[in-house]
Amino acid sequence: MVTKAIASYRMKSLDETLSQLSKEDCQLIAGGTDLMVQRKSPRGAPGRFDKPVVFIDHLKELKQIYRVNQDIHIGACCTYSEMMEHHLIPNILKKAMKEIAAPAIRNRGTIGGNICNASPAGDTLPLLYIFNAKIRLRSAKGERAAEIRDFIQGPRKVDRLKDELVTEIILPEVPEVQPYFVFEKVANRRADAITKISFAGSMRWDEGRIQDARLAFGAVGPTIVRAADIEQKLVGQAFPLNDKVIDGIVAEFESLLKPIDDHRSTGVYRKTVALNLLRHFLEVRA
Amino acid sequence: MNAKDISISVKKKDHDGKVSGQLAYIGDVKVDLMLYGVLYRSPIAHGKVRSIQLPPLPEGYAKIGAEHIPGANFVKLLHKDQPIFADEWVTYIGEPMFMLVGPEFDILHQLLDEVEVDIEEHPAILTLEEAIRQKDHTGVFASHEFGERSDVIKAIEQHAHQIIEEEYVTGYQEHVYLEPQGMLGIYTDEEILVEGSMQCLYYVKNALISALACKDDEVRVIQSPTGGGFGGKEDFPSLMACHVGIAAKAVQKPVMLLFDRAEDFEVTTKRHPAKFIYRTALDEQGNILCMNVELYLDGGANAGLSPVVLQRSLLNSAGVYKIPHFHAKGYALKTNTVPNGAFRGFGAPQSFAAIESLLGHISGKVNRDPIEYKRNYIVKQGDPTITGGRFKDPVLIDDMIQDLLQTVEYAKKKAEFHAFNQHNKRYKKGIGASFFLHGCGFTGSGERDHIKATVKLARTENDQVLIKISNSDMGQGALTTLSKIVANELGLPYEDVSFPYPDTKEVPDSGPTVASRTTMIVGKLLERAASKMKAGWQSGVSQEAVEHYVHEEMIPWDEEKFSGDAYPAYSWGVNLIELEVDTLTGNVKVEKVYGSFDIGKAIDEQIVKGQIDGGMAQGIAYGFMEKMTSKSGRIEQKSISDYGPPTAMDVVHIESKLYDNPFAGGPYGAKGVGELPLTGGAPAVQAAIEDALQIDFYQIPVTPELIIERLTKRAGGSD
Repeated sequence: MVTKAIASYRMKSLDETLSQLSKEDCQLIAGGTDLMVQRKSPRGAPGRFDKPVVFIDHLKELKQIYRVNQDIHIGACCTYSEMMEHHLIPNILKKAMKEIAAPAIRNRGTIGGNICNASPAGDTLPLLYIFNAKIRLRSAKGERAAEIRDFIQGPRKVDRLKDELVTEIILPEVPEVQPYFVFEKVANRRADAITKISFAGSMRWDEGRIQDARLAFGAVGPTIVRAADIEQKLVGQAFPLNDKVIDGIVAEFESLLKPIDDHRSTGVYRKTVALNLLRHFLEVRA
Repeated sequence: MNAKDISISVKKKDHDGKVSGQLAYIGDVKVDLMLYGVLYRSPIAHGKVRSIQLPPLPEGYAKIGAEHIPGANFVKLLHKDQPIFADEWVTYIGEPMFMLVGPEFDILHQLLDEVEVDIEEHPAILTLEEAIRQKDHTGVFASHEFGERSDVIKAIEQHAHQIIEEEYVTGYQEHVYLEPQGMLGIYTDEEILVEGSMQCLYYVKNALISALACKDDEVRVIQSPTGGGFGGKEDFPSLMACHVGIAAKAVQKPVMLLFDRAEDFEVTTKRHPAKFIYRTALDEQGNILCMNVELYLDGGANAGLSPVVLQRSLLNSAGVYKIPHFHAKGYALKTNTVPNGAFRGFGAPQSFAAIESLLGHISGKVNRDPIEYKRNYIVKQGDPTITGGRFKDPVLIDDMIQDLLQTVEYAKKKAEFHAFNQHNKRYKKGIGASFFLHGCGFTGSGERDHIKATVKLARTENDQVLIKISNSDMGQGALTTLSKIVANELGLPYEDVSFPYPDTKEVPDSGPTVASRTTMIVGKLLERAASKMKAGWQSGVSQEAVEHYVHEEMIPWDEEKFSGDAYPAYSWGVNLIELEVDTLTGNVKVEKVYGSFDIGKAIDEQIVKGQIDGGMAQGIAYGFMEKMTSKSGRIEQKSISDYGPPTAMDVVHIESKLYDNPFAGGPYGAKGVGELPLTGGAPAVQAAIEDALQIDFYQIPVTPELIIERLTKRAGGSD
C-alpha cells in the first residue's frame, strides 16, 4: 500500500497546455477553490487526485478582458478580483462577484472555474445565463463555442471533451446603457456562504412597452433555470406591468420550479423566496 | 479611573506568539517516532456489536481497543456511562469503537475504509420529543422539581383571569473554536504524558488515572496553547486523552489524535437542545399570578455534564424576575445522538431565551410594551431567588435598563421604526431587548465539596514570580488577567509575573477553567496568595505561597431539595438590538447592538471588551443564524459555511458599557464575565424580529426559513 504519485504540469503557454491535454486525460486546475475542497482527504492525508494535474491559473492567454464590437470577452482564468476591477465588466456582474465568498477566495477563484464546476448554486451563473454567455473552447485540433445553457448539463457536468479547455467567456451584444438589472443572492450569512437561492432578472422597456425580459434562478434545480417561453410572454406588455400579468408569470414559475430540501434549506423556502423575488422584480415602477 | 486603575489594559502575555503566528498549537507539534491515530466510529445509532473484521495491518500499524485499557472502560466524569472504546454496545453514530494507529494518515484512512463491523441494530431514540414521550420508561440522566407547591399553583390557576400556555424550543449550538480538538499521548518508562487543547487539566488527569489504573504520579497532563474552548474543551478532551494515553502505553510510542473540522462537527459535544413548557396565570390587568415550567434537555447518548447543565437551566428558568408562586421541574434525557456537553452559558442561554420570549409574548397579549412589562418583575437587592436564596448584593439592572433606554431614545426609535414599516413594503425594522444574569462559579456547594481549589505562587531568587495553577488560557485572557492581579498585589511590574502553560506535575488543582469562575474564584485565591507572599517577602530568597478555597457561608445549598443560595455572586446584563428583516427572503440584518454589563470590576478593559464582543456575537447568532440539525441520528452540517456562524460582515460594532459594582468575594471586586455576554443575544434578537414583523416566535434560531413560513401563513390568513 503505497500512495501513488501524481504528475502535475504547469506549462508556459496555452499551446503547450493544449498539447498536453491531447496526450492524456488530465485534471485541470485554475484557482482550485472548488477542487481543493472537493478532493480534500481527512486531516493529514493528501488530496484525492487520480489523474495528472494541469495548472492553468498562470496562463496569460486566459487572463485577457477585451471588447470586440458589442461583445465582451473574458478570459477563463480571470479571477473575481481582477474582473471586479476591470472597466469592461458590467456592474451587475461585479455586484454578484462581490457577494462571492471572501477576498482570499475571490483572489483565486476564476470565472471559467465557476462555470466548469457547474454547481447549481454557482454565484456568477444566473447572470451569465441572463447575458446569454457563450463559452469558447479550444483543443489542439481546433476551436468551438457553446451557449452556456447547453454547455452546463447538470451538477458538476459540462459539455467539455477531455482535450478541450475553456478559453473565454463571451458576453454578446452588451449595450452601452444597461437595462434594469437585479441580482439577489440569498444565503445563511453575508460572506463565505453558499447560495440557498439566487435570482437574476433584466428588463428593458421603451415607450411604455417591455422590449426584452430575462429571468434566471439559481439553486432551485440541477442547473440554472431560465424559461424563454415565459420571458417571451412579457415582451410587448405595457410597462409598468399590471397585477394580472405579474400573477400569470409568477404562476408559470410556480409550476416550473421544483427545488429540493437539503442541509442548507428547504424546498418550500427556496420556492417561496424565488417567487417573492420574481414578483418584486416584476413590480418595478420606473 | 485613575492612572493606576487595574482595569487599564496591558499587552496580553500571549500577544506576540499569537500575532506573529509562531505559537505552536498541538496540531503543529511533531515528535520523534510519533504515530497518528484515527478512530473507527459507530455507523449506527444504537446496537450490539457482533463482530469486528480488520484488514491485515501493515507493519508499524496497530489496532487499539477496549482490550488495551488497563483500568475501567469509561471516561471518568459524573456517571460511568461513557465508554472509552465502545466494544459491546454502541449508542450513537460516531461513537468511537476502536482506534488505528500508525505513521501515515492516508494508509490509516484506507485501512479504516476496509474495516467491517457487524452490529445488531436496536431501536434508537433520535429526537428530544421521542425521549420526552418515553421518559417514564428509560433514559433520565437527572431531574429536579422545586418551588411553590403544586396544590397552591392549582388553587391560584383556578381563580385566574386567564392561563397562558406556551411551548418553546431551542436548537443545537456548535462551539466552532478556531482550533479543532487535538491530543498527544507520550510514553516514557516513568509516566504517560498527555498534552493537548483543553480547559480542565485535572478532569483529564483523573480520567487518565481511572483508565490507566495507575498511580497519581504515573500520569502527567500539560495544556498546550488552546485556540478557543467555549466549554467544548471542558468535558470532551478527557475522552481523547484516554484514547491517546491508552494507545501510547500500548505501543510505547507517542500517539497524536487530531480532528479536522468535519469530524469535530460530527462527534464532539454541542449545546443541549431544549424544550420548555410554561403555564402562566394572569389576573384581569395582565399581572402574573403564578408560573409553572417544565423543561427538558436533550443530553445525547451519555450523561456527561448534563445533570449539572440541567441545574443551571432550572436555576435560570425565571430569568431576572421575581415571579410570584413559581414552580419548576426539569429533566435531562438520553437520546441516541451525539452527547451534548458544556457550552458557554451551560444551560442558561436556553432558559433566558425561553423566559424572555414568554414575557415578551405575554406583554403583547395584555397590550403592554415588553420592556416596561418586564421591568415590573425585575428582582431587587434583598429579594429571594427561586430556590429561596437571596440576592444579597446591590442589583443595578433596572438602572442599567433605564440608562440604555435613554441612550437609544427607545420611545422615539419605536415610533420611527413604526413609521418606516408603514411605508416600506419589503423591509421591516424592529427593536428588542433582553435582561439576564449569570451566577458566577460552580452551582451550589460545588467549589467547597468537589473542586476544593488550591493555588500556588512561586518566587525565584531573582524575584520573578510564577503563577502555578491548573487553569487554562483558551484565548479569554486568563494568562494576562491573573498575572495582573498578582503583580498588582505584590507591587511588581506586570512583566515580572509569568504564567507558564500549566503542567500537572508543577501545579496544584485550582479547578477547571469553566463556570465563569477563573477570575473571580481563582483570581481571589491568587490575590490572597500574593498578599501572603508579600508579607513574607525577602529579596533574593525563593519563596512559595499556597492558598486554599474558603467557602463563604450563605443560605446553605441543598441539591436534593434544590434550595438555598445557588451562587455566591451574580453578574448582570442588558442587551438591546435594532435590526431589519427582509420580508421577501426572511434574512435579518442586525444594525445596532448595545450591551450593558455589571461584572463587578473589569480586571482588564480590553479583555472584557473582547469577551463581550465575542460572547454577544455568539449569542446573537444562536438566536437567528447558527443552525445545526440531526437527521436519523447524524449531524447534517459538516462545515463552517453550512453551519453559518457570523462573519465580520454579519456583526456590527457593539456598543458596550460596564457598571462598576465590586463584589467583596472577587479580586478587586471582579465577578465572572466569560459566559454572561452570550446569554442575552438570542432573546434580544428574537424580540427585535418579533417587533419588526409583529409575529411571535416559539423557537430559536429564528431562521429565514421560519420567518418565511410564518409570513406565508399570515398572508394566507391562517396565522
